[in-house]
Amino acid sequence: MFVAAVLVMVDYFLKIPGTGPAVVQLQNWGIILTAFTLGFGAVNLFYLHTRHISRRTPGQWPFSIWILVMIVVTAVIGVATGATGKQYSWWYNSTYFALSATVYSSLGFYMTTGCYRALRARNVEAALLLVVGAIALLRNAPAIAVGVPIIIPMEAWLSAVPTTSAQRGIMIGAALGAIALGVRTMIGRETGFLGRLTEAERRGGT
Amino acid sequence: MLVSGRIFALGMLIALWIFIVGAMEMAKKKLPTFRKLSGLDALPEMVGRAAEMNRPIHYTTGLGELTGTVAPQLVAGLAVLGYVSELAAKYGVKVIYSVYQAQVMPIATELMKEAYMRAGKADAFNAEEQIRYLSGEQFAYATAVQGIAERERPAANIMIGPFYAESMMFSETFFRIGAIQLAGTARGYQIPFFAVVCDYLLIGEEIYAAGAYLSKDPVQCGSIQGQDIGKVIGWILMFVGVLATAAGSPIIINLLKT
Amino acid sequence: MSKGKGFWARLEDVPREVLYAILLIVFIIPMLNPMGFPVPISDAAKKWYATIDALPAGSAIMIDFGYSGGGEPELGPMAAAVYHHIFRKGGLKPITMSTSIDGTLLWDKVIAEVNPEKYGRKYGVDYIHIGYIAGTETAMAAVGKDLRATTNTDYHGASLDQFPIMQGIKDASSFKLLICYTTGGDQSEGWVRQWNTPYKTPYLCSVIAMMVPTMLPYQKAGQIVSLLAGAQAGEMELLVGMPARGIKSADVITLTHLLVFAFVVLGNIAHYGRKASERARGG
Repeated sequence: MFVAAVLVMVDYFLKIPGTGPAVVQLQNWGIILTAFTLGFGAVNLFYLHTRHISRRTPGQWPFSIWILVMIVVTAVIGVATGATGKQYSWWYNSTYFALSATVYSSLGFYMTTGCYRALRARNVEAALLLVVGAIALLRNAPAIAVGVPIIIPMEAWLSAVPTTSAQRGIMIGAALGAIALGVRTMIGRETGFLGRLTEAERRGGT
Repeated sequence: MLVSGRIFALGMLIALWIFIVGAMEMAKKKLPTFRKLSGLDALPEMVGRAAEMNRPIHYTTGLGELTGTVAPQLVAGLAVLGYVSELAAKYGVKVIYSVYQAQVMPIATELMKEAYMRAGKADAFNAEEQIRYLSGEQFAYATAVQGIAERERPAANIMIGPFYAESMMFSETFFRIGAIQLAGTARGYQIPFFAVVCDYLLIGEEIYAAGAYLSKDPVQCGSIQGQDIGKVIGWILMFVGVLATAAGSPIIINLLKT
Repeated sequence: MSKGKGFWARLEDVPREVLYAILLIVFIIPMLNPMGFPVPISDAAKKWYATIDALPAGSAIMIDFGYSGGGEPELGPMAAAVYHHIFRKGGLKPITMSTSIDGTLLWDKVIAEVNPEKYGRKYGVDYIHIGYIAGTETAMAAVGKDLRATTNTDYHGASLDQFPIMQGIKDASSFKLLICYTTGGDQSEGWVRQWNTPYKTPYLCSVIAMMVPTMLPYQKAGQIVSLLAGAQAGEMELLVGMPARGIKSADVITLTHLLVFAFVVLGNIAHYGRKASERARGG
């Protein structure tokens, strides 16, 4: 792990002949591994749902049959007609795309009830959040931005100054966290992947 | 030999490594102290509430792969899962962990089993019942979690990890069933949704500190301290850069571009 | 609504089904009967348009269809409007890949909507899709370093060598512009790290509206030339002169935003009204 990580970093920062092709290979291996995890997910679903069916898990097993039927039908259509075939496209648009877009759209409803019930000016910070949210809401309504033009520079300032600053801070923190995890993983001192909380536990203690 | 435009970045990376590894070693002698993270301090309260109501706790580490760029957030979520599982086991509360990535399941199983063993309740752990792989598809996973919320009515919902569009669905659903919620993510897109609805919130790198805060593990604590040194350097660069740019000098900008 | 509750308490506790029903009505009316509300064209949309317009003939554009099916209603119209622009201008080489597994099928949808043949454009000559490449940032880095080593076929499985559009395309340096449509921050931020930072490729990014605040730092730092929400597809359609789904959505966006604003105000009025009436009863 350490060698692979250092190789990729050396290729990024230094001009050393020979590292380029090696890194390209590593990246291609990474792509292949990721593609395999997709199949792994499907295998896991099969295992999980066949267990539900065999045990007749109450309230679950009819849906498990349904999901397995859908997986098989989708796979058969995809293999028979190709991933770019007309029949597969029709199947995808009629089932997965329709469901996916519907569930995604339901977010709008959740946000509406969230805004009605939870966005209260209970204290100064909440009131500030409310005011900023209201300005952003009105700015993003195209016709309102035309009718109340003052909202445009107000929202632009809010986006450019406090929002961007806060987001930068969060990004820098998150990036440093990722670097720290990378360092710990590279030197073999990261225990999260092993399912243990502390290094002492990793060494076999408690 | 050095690629132009990346020299400063290389220098900073090496410096950060030194700080992080150095801080990890120093932490073995003296643990650094953390500021109060009220979300994490509320975990015993959340578990206690679930015990009183005789309802389970729901836990999710969101969407994310161990091989992806959000892996640090997923690992942070797993760290807190271990702590919550041990606490819940002591109080006799069931923890339901909803899994998105199949590759996380063996890690979670090991983690929770050991947590239950540490609590002296190894027999109470039922991996099949408590660790549920739902789906590798975002909205299939999201709707399955909503189903768990509606059917099993957990008293508490803990969400720590990388979350995407489903964050609002989770927080609103669990809010509606009256669950107390702790959420934490370093994905800036979802923080506002959690902020509006959840009772406790961990923002950004607070989730990375969570594992260290709860476990007091020197490696993790030292790592957090190393990150904080990096932040101090960043702050100094920003401050000096603003002053220099205001004075008409591009020295810091040119330094960052080398 | 519960018996025995005062007016303010009942208003604060309006069943969610009522809120959903009102939202649905407000949503459906402008979809069925477009109201023609004005749509201002933002500076970001003008900059996006100008960036593509300024490309010299023969410029290759890398386009990432990195969104999932759920994001299609928002990003599909944007992608279609941009394709109209590219095909109408002519002389450009849009080479598409997908970092999202749904990307190839969603690209089919958009291309069917755009109908490149109407502009006299031919697959393999004037546009191409090189397929879904797993790995998100790993894929971006690999393609940027050596496209042919990462994939040597289009999304139908045909060799890239047979397509005239792919002549001379080797790596990120072969491209004059990068465009990404995505519902995932991993893609939108990944391209900044893997193409814009090392290769300085100019980058146009279109994301779902809720991602815009988080992507703003990159745009303010100049790493993204123009950042547009998919909801601004109507603006792009007006610029390109091809009003379609995007413009239709603009009326819906205006009314639903106003409704949510009204709900927020009403919810707070109900909350404080209830508190005041409880104090009055108690005091």
